[in-house]
Amino acid sequence: MEGKIIVVTSGKGGVGKTTATASIGAALALEGNRVAVIDMDIGLRNLDVVLGLENRIVFNIVDVVNKRCKLTQAAIRDRRIENLFLIPASQSDNKDVLTTAGVERAAKILKKEFDYILMDSPAGIEKGFENSIVSASEAIVICTPDVSSVRDADRVIGLLYARSITPKIIVNRIVPQMVAKGDMLSHEDVMEVLSVELAGLVPMDEQVVIATNMGMPLVMQNNSKAGQAFRRIAKRLNGETDLPIQVPTHKTGMWNKLSQKLGFKK
Amino acid sequence: MLYGLLRKFTGRKPSKDTAKKRLQFALVYDKLEIKDTTLTDLQNDIVDVISKYFEIDKSSLQLEIKRDKDVSALVFNTPILCAKRMRT
Ligand SMILES: Nc1ncnc2c1ncn2[C@@H]1O[C@H](COP(=O)(O)OP(=O)(O)OP(=O)(O)O)[C@@H](O)[C@H]1O
Ligand SMILES: [Mg+2]
Repeated sequence: MEGKIIVVTSGKGGVGKTTATASIGAALALEGNRVAVIDMDIGLRNLDVVLGLENRIVFNIVDVVNKRCKLTQAAIRDRRIENLFLIPASQSDNKDVLTTAGVERAAKILKKEFDYILMDSPAGIEKGFENSIVSASEAIVICTPDVSSVRDADRVIGLLYARSITPKIIVNRIVPQMVAKGDMLSHEDVMEVLSVELAGLVPMDEQVVIATNMGMPLVMQNNSKAGQAFRRIAKRLNGETDLPIQVPTHKTGMWNKLSQKLGFKK
Repeated sequence: MLYGLLRKFTGRKPSKDTAKKRLQFALVYDKLEIKDTTLTDLQNDIVDVISKYFEIDKSSLQLEIKRDKDVSALVFNTPILCAKRMRT
């Protein structure tokens, strides 16, 4: 069977595309799939450092597309997670070195080798975005619960529909306390505005920063709420559609709850 | 819930409601795919047309897009000072 190409995109920068690609990719591999995560952010690569594989780069996606090397030469095998492979971006080229035709040609080979191919799209809606979505059959749009990010997500969703790709959305960096106070858009608000299917909800989590510092896949961190959320997202993508989407909550301790009830704390 | 109560006492509207309203409004604009100047051009044209028939206060007129649940409407608001006498 042919593999599935899923693009991870957002419009707005810095909302968590690379974090999501690395985490969902790693989680899909932990589920037993052969997975390639591909950094399409040519000139500004980061998926390699997030996964801690930056020291093992020899070839990159531009080399693959332009036939300077074989796919197997460019795919870096993760030694911690079986069946997880990274194809890094080129750091020296600019975004214009890739053509959609070239990407589509490479995609054909990728689909034969892997069960899932995740494309980490650059921010924006220009050529780099086009190259990331050209061969994708599915899309995950990442947004954070703020006005500018949701607006950009809406724009990207429109562009994906125009290419007959039905996107799903992940709301990232949710701060449950702020949602409870009414100072952050809830995921319901976001869904109402965007009206597309939800893929999952990811809380703001210090562990994301720590995992990135260490170059360790977030989903291997068992105490990470964001990591757990990404694992559930991967399971749902992988066919466990019955798995309910968990809404991030702020767990208050016994003492906090008690003192709240007694009115010592607001 | 607790915050909800607190807010009732202080009368503060949650900022996310404002965020949501502004978003929905912005998305309507975005989807119309009109240039920012289109609305002002339209406004000028409308003023010219109306001025043929009425005397209006040009400084206090407003043109805006209103959004309800399903429809968005272009709303033009202007005080009419008096009707112009039409020459017959
Ligand atoms: N759930 C989260 N909790 C805390 N920090 C997060 C979370 N998700 C992402 N971040 C942090 O936000 C920053 C941006 O994330 P990331 O690089 O994944 O975004 P991006 O969309 O790929 O950015 P770019 O558009 O530049 O490619 C990083 O520092 C990352 O560690
Ligand atoms: Mg990125």
